[in-house]
Amino acid sequence: MTGRALLHRLGQMLFVLWVVTTLLFFLFRLMPGSPLAAYIDTSMTPEQQAILMHQFGLDRPLHEQYVLYLVNLLHGSLGYSFIYKEPVGSLLLAALPNTLLLTLSSLLIAYAFGILAGAFLAARRGTWIEAVSLPFVLASRALPEFWLGMVLLAIFSFAFGWFPAGGATSPGASFPNAWARFTSVDFLHHLVLPALTLAIFLQGLPLLLMRSNMLEVMQEEFVVMSRIKGLSEWTIIIRHAARNALLPVATALALGIGSSIGGNVVVESVFSWPGLGRRLVEAVSASDYPLAQGAFLMIATAQVVMNCVADLVYATLDPRVGQR
Amino acid sequence: MRATHPTRRDVLAGASAALAVPAIAKADTAGDAIRPLNLIARPQAVDPAQYQAAQLVMQQWRKLGLKINLQVMPPTQQSTAVWMNRTKWDMTTWEMVGRPERSDPDELTYSLFHSSLAPHGYDFVGYINPEYDHLAEAQRAELDRDKRVALVKQAQMVIKRDQPYVYLVYPRRSMAFNTDVWDPATVSEEAGIGIRNFWTFLQAKPLSTQKDMILNATQATQTLNPVHMDPIGSWVTDMIWDHLVRVDIHGNPINWAASSLTWLDPTTLEVVLRDGMKFHDGTPVTAEDVQYSFEMPQTPGKAPQFFPNVVNIDKVTIVDPKTLRFALKAPQSSFLTSTLSKIAIIPKHVWQPIMQSLAGTTQTAEDYVEEKRIGSGPFRFVHWHDPEEIMLERNPDHWAPPLLERWILRTVSNQEATLGMLRNGEINFLAIFTGDPQNVADLAKQQSNIKVVTTTDLGFQYIAWNLRRPPFDDAGFRRALSMAISRKLMVAAAWNGFAEPAGSCVSTALPFWHENDSLLEGGDLSKAKQMLAKAGYVLAGGELHYPAGKREEITSG
Repeated sequence: MTGRALLHRLGQMLFVLWVVTTLLFFLFRLMPGSPLAAYIDTSMTPEQQAILMHQFGLDRPLHEQYVLYLVNLLHGSLGYSFIYKEPVGSLLLAALPNTLLLTLSSLLIAYAFGILAGAFLAARRGTWIEAVSLPFVLASRALPEFWLGMVLLAIFSFAFGWFPAGGATSPGASFPNAWARFTSVDFLHHLVLPALTLAIFLQGLPLLLMRSNMLEVMQEEFVVMSRIKGLSEWTIIIRHAARNALLPVATALALGIGSSIGGNVVVESVFSWPGLGRRLVEAVSASDYPLAQGAFLMIATAQVVMNCVADLVYATLDPRVGQR
Repeated sequence: MRATHPTRRDVLAGASAALAVPAIAKADTAGDAIRPLNLIARPQAVDPAQYQAAQLVMQQWRKLGLKINLQVMPPTQQSTAVWMNRTKWDMTTWEMVGRPERSDPDELTYSLFHSSLAPHGYDFVGYINPEYDHLAEAQRAELDRDKRVALVKQAQMVIKRDQPYVYLVYPRRSMAFNTDVWDPATVSEEAGIGIRNFWTFLQAKPLSTQKDMILNATQATQTLNPVHMDPIGSWVTDMIWDHLVRVDIHGNPINWAASSLTWLDPTTLEVVLRDGMKFHDGTPVTAEDVQYSFEMPQTPGKAPQFFPNVVNIDKVTIVDPKTLRFALKAPQSSFLTSTLSKIAIIPKHVWQPIMQSLAGTTQTAEDYVEEKRIGSGPFRFVHWHDPEEIMLERNPDHWAPPLLERWILRTVSNQEATLGMLRNGEINFLAIFTGDPQNVADLAKQQSNIKVVTTTDLGFQYIAWNLRRPPFDDAGFRRALSMAISRKLMVAAAWNGFAEPAGSCVSTALPFWHENDSLLEGGDLSKAKQMLAKAGYVLAGGELHYPAGKREEITSG
């Protein structure tokens, strides 16, 4: 990709983000329900309501609020959360690392397993192994995550007591810094069950994608050619076919990373994981506009950026794409 | 449109004559058919019991010939619809939650039904009755306890007569703890609140090496601020910051940071402070701090939530280093509970600079996020790992130090997992449970070391109707509809037995204040029909009509 093409791509990205920002701004304000609903109390008077409206900036005309929001955004400020009374940025950053570690580790497990198992199943086409394992893969994709999570909890936490049932660290745990926390045995111990649940849910896509690509690639002439050359079957599968079949999986992974920023509401709720997904739900249900806008904007940014990354990766993996 | 009504009604009236309630006047003397009425409710997933109650209520009222539509809305939308557009709704499910300061009946008795609060305040149903206003004001000013009880009970009977709400139930809530960890004799049940209360946290005695109380909360805490109330955060702030008075387990105010309280006259209260109190930073609690604690929320616009609690205070003067005098604008019988037990004692040397920095900005004291939270309460703030946990530790320098070492509040979103965690020791105190209470009861049956305590709540569940809109402006109509609803059925079918029938805003959890005769058992459909007929309503063509001459003036939407 040339420098100009890259600039063009960046320009597109910014435009998309501006559209998203605008949509989010108006969408949340069109939503029924006022942020003041959270403040209803026997003692609330109209004067106090007015104070709150003024303080939230909701007494200004909508277009003024919008311009102010954009200006603040350009200054890097996402505003203050109505319910938490703290800067949206720091609220999101408090939950983001937990979410990223959970989703990225499960993506890693899911894609490593999915790619290998997909290639393997393609090689075993038509055998009893395929007949037995495919239904399992399909079933694991269809399983509701909360159900799977509850089953894992019932077995590994409540029956065997091997893993804790909720949270990211033990009660009262304190760490000198974030790095010490994320690399502690305690954190990893808490991470196992939610990551496993999410990985089981996620592995179906790369596995099936890999398998069907492999089946296609295995029919191509260069594979036939390799066979004629007398290469071993595994050499053909791993070194020649799998590399070609990986392309769509790489795209799926990039998009998967993008969407993982938003967290996973279901898994986070089942395992009481202190992540972004639940914070998002709270923000929306309390009509906390700044927090909800900030969170969705962050998710959208991650998606757009990872989309771009996927394109770039594609160009690297498949030189034909870049030439066009 | 309207011109065609009589003809249609006449035709239908003949056909339904057999179905009509006996002794009903002829249909041609009736008014317009009552429009389809809307009942607002929260989604089933948010509150299954309340949703079920709405369904049962609709079933009964349809049998009276009413058309009822259910409008399901998420909580914030419901609040907005009911609160901010006061003329635009018909009926809604609603609840009043129990808080310790509501153990004095004043707040609910006054705020819910006093006509001054109808336009914008808590009388959102628009109940206006001078007779009631008089009783509500009289009980507020009455300092003689027995006389006040009589007034509060009288007020409840007026409400029974007028039925501005369809009271349904006082829910019963279950909390539990591990008896291997906590001595059951030291866990106290507070009337209307349950075992999750200040006294339990203060007195719970550890029986093993586990000296940390680990509790669950269903949602993340939003704020930990002494002048802001938060559904979960208030459990925490109540322990970090002390109060002059605290509400005891029977719901009565008792001296706490105050060693004595003396009414010099109906509007002057003299308070003597306890000796040797210290803030967590080591500085002594002085009369200046206490004075400032009550003056700060009076700053216009800076502490909106607590402002109403101090609005009746004219002046707080310091008599000597241990003694203060509160001068009130008007006599207020609930002053100890609604103000002294509610206002946190804050250090002046911390908050005065904060307030100075906030002056002239839109930021309020409620929004200020402290790094160190300095109070003088029996627990000290340690950390808040948002959104995972909040941790406090015992304050050994307090004059009534707790027995437990650390108090750790964990956010546990998965209700079913909460019970598993209680069983395997990840938590040792179930502070809140929003799932089916039967599951908690079952757990205690399986595990001998889990004790469940179920408490009738101070709060209550009800259907509110908009008294500004016909037909709800007619007390006769309201009484009849209320008569059709069986409270016993509500308890059994909607709350699975975990509730008590309700008849007034003063819960049975407060037997001292509760009027037993306020309960309308209901469930008598034929009586309800008779009452409607007596009030002039006519059932014709399966539809209930207004009394003769009355027009439907609201188009249903």
